[in-house]
Amino acid sequence: MEFLKKATGLFTWLLPVAILIGLLVAWELWVQLADVPKWQLPAPSAVAKELGASRDLLWDHTLVTLQEIVVGFLAALVAGLVLASGIAYSRVLERSVYPIVIASQTVPIIAIAPLLLIWVGYGLTPKIIIVALICFYPIAVNTVDGLKATDPDMVNMLRTLGASRWQIFTKLQIPTALPFMFSGIKIGVSVSVIAAVIGEWVGASEGLGYLITYSQPLFLTARVFAAIFVLSAMGIGLFILAVVAERMMMPWHFNEKRSNSMRQL
Amino acid sequence: MSTDTAVRPKIQVEAVRKSYVIDGERQEVLAGVDLTVNEGEFVSIIGPSGCGKSTLLNIIAGLDQPDSGQVELSGLTDMRLGQTGYMQQKDLLLPWRSVLDNTILGLELRGVPKKQAREQALQYTKEFGLKGFEHQYPYALSGGMRQRAAFLRTMLMDQDVILLDEPFGALDALTRIQMQEWLLQLWESLNKTIVLITHDVDEALLLSDRVYLMTARPGRATLALDVALPRPRHYDMVTGPDFSALKAQLMEPLRSQIKATG
Repeated sequence: MEFLKKATGLFTWLLPVAILIGLLVAWELWVQLADVPKWQLPAPSAVAKELGASRDLLWDHTLVTLQEIVVGFLAALVAGLVLASGIAYSRVLERSVYPIVIASQTVPIIAIAPLLLIWVGYGLTPKIIIVALICFYPIAVNTVDGLKATDPDMVNMLRTLGASRWQIFTKLQIPTALPFMFSGIKIGVSVSVIAAVIGEWVGASEGLGYLITYSQPLFLTARVFAAIFVLSAMGIGLFILAVVAERMMMPWHFNEKRSNSMRQL
Repeated sequence: MSTDTAVRPKIQVEAVRKSYVIDGERQEVLAGVDLTVNEGEFVSIIGPSGCGKSTLLNIIAGLDQPDSGQVELSGLTDMRLGQTGYMQQKDLLLPWRSVLDNTILGLELRGVPKKQAREQALQYTKEFGLKGFEHQYPYALSGGMRQRAAFLRTMLMDQDVILLDEPFGALDALTRIQMQEWLLQLWESLNKTIVLITHDVDEALLLSDRVYLMTARPGRATLALDVALPRPRHYDMVTGPDFSALKAQLMEPLRSQIKATG
């Protein structure tokens, strides 16, 4: 049984990796056999070569983009949690601010990017603002849902123990909201990379998004692919970081889920 | 226990009425309930489903207010919230806290330092059958253990009045009997006033000094039956002739109530 479980665990990892390798091999073969010109579609081997050759250049631009993402994301996290707490705690804020937050999502933030250039210039700031604006919404909305997902029986239990409103908020509502908040964070992290790239496309002089727009008219297609590869790796890395933080902050949540699924077996 | 001292009422419920809007219609849930529980007494309330037993307990606990009538708890008519130990059918343990940290929740809310509260709780974990499980999360525990952890959380508040809303309702039959015996022992060693809500006639008779029967909605306490069985009690009594006679006295009107609800 134990062996079987381990084997299936390994299999679930191996399968996507095998598919990915298969696709890369097919891509490589297609480019080699059909003699596709390098400026049109470089082979994976050419992209790998490019990754090695321009690693210093890529590294410099990676640091810029990473900085935009991290600062923007943290700003969104703080603002999102503060606003969500306010909305969950105060009826007035819920009625007045929450509808605006939800309506704001219909504004295409990408369309605001050029305006930000007019207002705050070409530095890192407009990109950070775009990342923050895009990450803010999933974090805030999910956290609001989580803070309101408390079991009314639990609230009554705490009240009979003499809990104040604030104690109910800190001892019950916040822990209840954690899984929801992390769902928001994971969505936020995933879109943050896209947000930074878009910010750089609109107007920048550094960053991986800039490197792509700069390399494309020069037909440095392998470099475009190399930059895309680094961006994806960054996104995956940040997502894994969020998952690790989630597991560390809520060990009970995952053990409970596991023991429930075991019970169903 | 309740006979050797002067009888003083601890909980007095007088002409309590309560109605709620259910499905857009105002429905009376409690239609003038009168009920007295003396200090140190164990009283059960039994009745058909939906007779407003839980509403009554919520009102005594101060979670809810009556539309009219009054409730006196330890001589006071208001500020009842936080003055009773209230336990419900669901254990309501917080999944993110260890068993020990769940039991100290009330003490923590009162401002007792965590370390001190934990030491206090650890003195009782053996008696409550939680020894060795203090640092587990609730999901790892059986239903009976979770319920005992919730009990300890209630008991550590050291309130004179304990309100129990079908605390064994969700447990299997064997665990329930175990828990009833355990509660009997515990109550006989403490000097608490307990109000128990139950569906179970045996449970009500075995544990109580007095049993109130409530009518189907709108609820009213119609019958008060004194249970003159000797203490300490034991589960074997359930099959005795005295017990059967009492049970017959209770079953007859209860059955007619259930019939009335259809």
